[in-house]
Amino acid sequence: MLKQELETTFDNITIRMEKKNQLELSITKDGIMSVLSFLKNKGYDHLHVISCVDWIDDKQLELVYILSAYMKQDVPGETEQLNILLKTRIGRDDPKYITSIALFPAAEPYEREIHEMFGVDFLGHPRLTPLLLERDYDIPPFRKDFDTKQYVDDVFGSVPSVEGEDKN
Amino acid sequence: MDRNQLKKWFQNPVKMAHKYSLHVVYFCTGCGIIEIPPSITARWDAERFGIIPVATPRQASLFIIAGYVSLKTLRSIIRTYEQMPEPKFTVSLGSCPINGGMYYDSYNTIKHLEKYIPVDGMIAGCMPRPEAIFVGVTHLWTLIDKDMADGYKRYRSNYSAYRANQEKILGKLEWPPLFPIHGEE
Amino acid sequence: MHIIELIFSPLLALLIGVFFLGLARKVMARIQWRYGPPVTQPLIDIIRLLSQKSASHGVAFNIGLVMSLAGSLVITLFLPFGKIAPMSNSGGMLVILYLMLIGPLGMAISSGESANPNASIGISRKLLLAMGYELPFLLVVLALMTAYNTTSITEIVSLQRDTGWSMFTFPLVLSGIAYLLILPAMLGVRPFEVVNAPQEISSGPLVEYGGPYLALATLQHALAFFIGISLFVNLMWGGAANPVIFFLKMLVVFFLGIFVNAVFPRLRIDQAIRYLWRWPSLIAFAGLILVCVTGS
Repeated sequence: MLKQELETTFDNITIRMEKKNQLELSITKDGIMSVLSFLKNKGYDHLHVISCVDWIDDKQLELVYILSAYMKQDVPGETEQLNILLKTRIGRDDPKYITSIALFPAAEPYEREIHEMFGVDFLGHPRLTPLLLERDYDIPPFRKDFDTKQYVDDVFGSVPSVEGEDKN
Repeated sequence: MDRNQLKKWFQNPVKMAHKYSLHVVYFCTGCGIIEIPPSITARWDAERFGIIPVATPRQASLFIIAGYVSLKTLRSIIRTYEQMPEPKFTVSLGSCPINGGMYYDSYNTIKHLEKYIPVDGMIAGCMPRPEAIFVGVTHLWTLIDKDMADGYKRYRSNYSAYRANQEKILGKLEWPPLFPIHGEE
Repeated sequence: MHIIELIFSPLLALLIGVFFLGLARKVMARIQWRYGPPVTQPLIDIIRLLSQKSASHGVAFNIGLVMSLAGSLVITLFLPFGKIAPMSNSGGMLVILYLMLIGPLGMAISSGESANPNASIGISRKLLLAMGYELPFLLVVLALMTAYNTTSITEIVSLQRDTGWSMFTFPLVLSGIAYLLILPAMLGVRPFEVVNAPQEISSGPLVEYGGPYLALATLQHALAFFIGISLFVNLMWGGAANPVIFFLKMLVVFFLGIFVNAVFPRLRIDQAIRYLWRWPSLIAFAGLILVCVTGS
């Protein structure tokens, strides 16, 4: 039912339903806000998490919004808890996107984290300050081209031992 | 255990009291938190050795760092360690503070804890069982007995090197140095 | 002889208080099916703490602590311990009631200087709790004074020798029950352990105390324990002519407190105040009225 409504409302939306209670939607990056507000009005007003995947071969970053209804009674006609995965892809070089705080205030820390770990700039976000990390990284550390071993050798390996090797 | 030998008590009461009154502040960063509750509650009962957990570093004399140390927790660990009154002993739990353990290539986890604060003993294992904690404590007693648990003295004498290492990895520290730093005008 | 008693009785109180602390840890451990530390463990802790150096937080931090300890030491001079009662002829109950406030007040001044938010919360809880149990306690003391027609604690003790323990004599039964109900709050044990809650507020007022300061605070805690139990035994359980008998009575009250401590969880401060101002206060008030009606 939701599937048909989505298909009739939006063009170029891809809908897959591989599991019984999991609906996967893919859409171009222009349509994501309208789909989010459509789903929110339908009753899927609980944003679990915003995730990000680095597709380095496609030179794209994929943002994944995971939504569900808080209680299944909130959505008329829904028989069981439905999780909605809303995916979109943005360019990997100098990634910019608009924030979804206006729709979901809970998106604030997730967007901060994605900004920190993947370098996505969310336009309109009130404070994209560091959330988890202590140091500055040239490449955001969750991107695929971040060489952790090299980084560890450079940074942590270069810290000298205080006592010397002959410590008993 | 020589707690009941009165002769030793009369010879050196301070050292004996340091041995048998270890008040612990636990820094439960990682999976070490799972091993601590059984060791202090009824199953293994650390209190029979005089080891009780306290709530603040001011009251503590033993600092147990249980689990991996990320950069953010390293900041808190240094502050906690510097607030403890001397003499103070540090024991790290698990393989992560020794060489990084399973986080050997993590971008945000320090690999060698003893480069940033002095560590008197390290209990290896992933995670060590509560028995290993008690073995570590008995080793610490031996070290205190032989005056070899001198981490706080090493911290005092090598403070500029430790502080340099801390600032190298954490950037500028927002608290003043605990001891005067050598080679500064 | 009098001088020896003056020096001896605070030391005895300290010794018994520290012994009670150690015994409390051992008994708690045995109740929880643990082996537990040796009874001398608080002594070991105090030796260790006195040998350490710790940060002071200002003049009031030191003075308040000393004032608290001194106030508690002075009370022990007024409390009869068996026949040992160096200063109980002067002052009596009223002096004890005043001096009992110096302990918490000194700790409040001292830990207020440490400027730790946990200490502030702990101190506000401590004074609130004191307000909670002072009301029923004052009613109980008033009932006792009315019934025995005296304010001297030695006279109360000696009068009980003729009439029997005041807890089990007719007009004072209700007061005795009320006193028993507020006793855990006065000792600061578990259902009312809101002040030093280590899990919630990092041991409350003691949060910034380390080294010798913590040793003095521990001694003050031991003295407060001693005073609470000793006052109860003197007022309600007839005191004793013999220090040994007195000590045994104290031991019984102590075990009661520890058993309550071992099996109860901690109340919130509002629950504690609600409890203290409801049932113990009502019973104490009824006891006072009963004494006034039957006494005249």
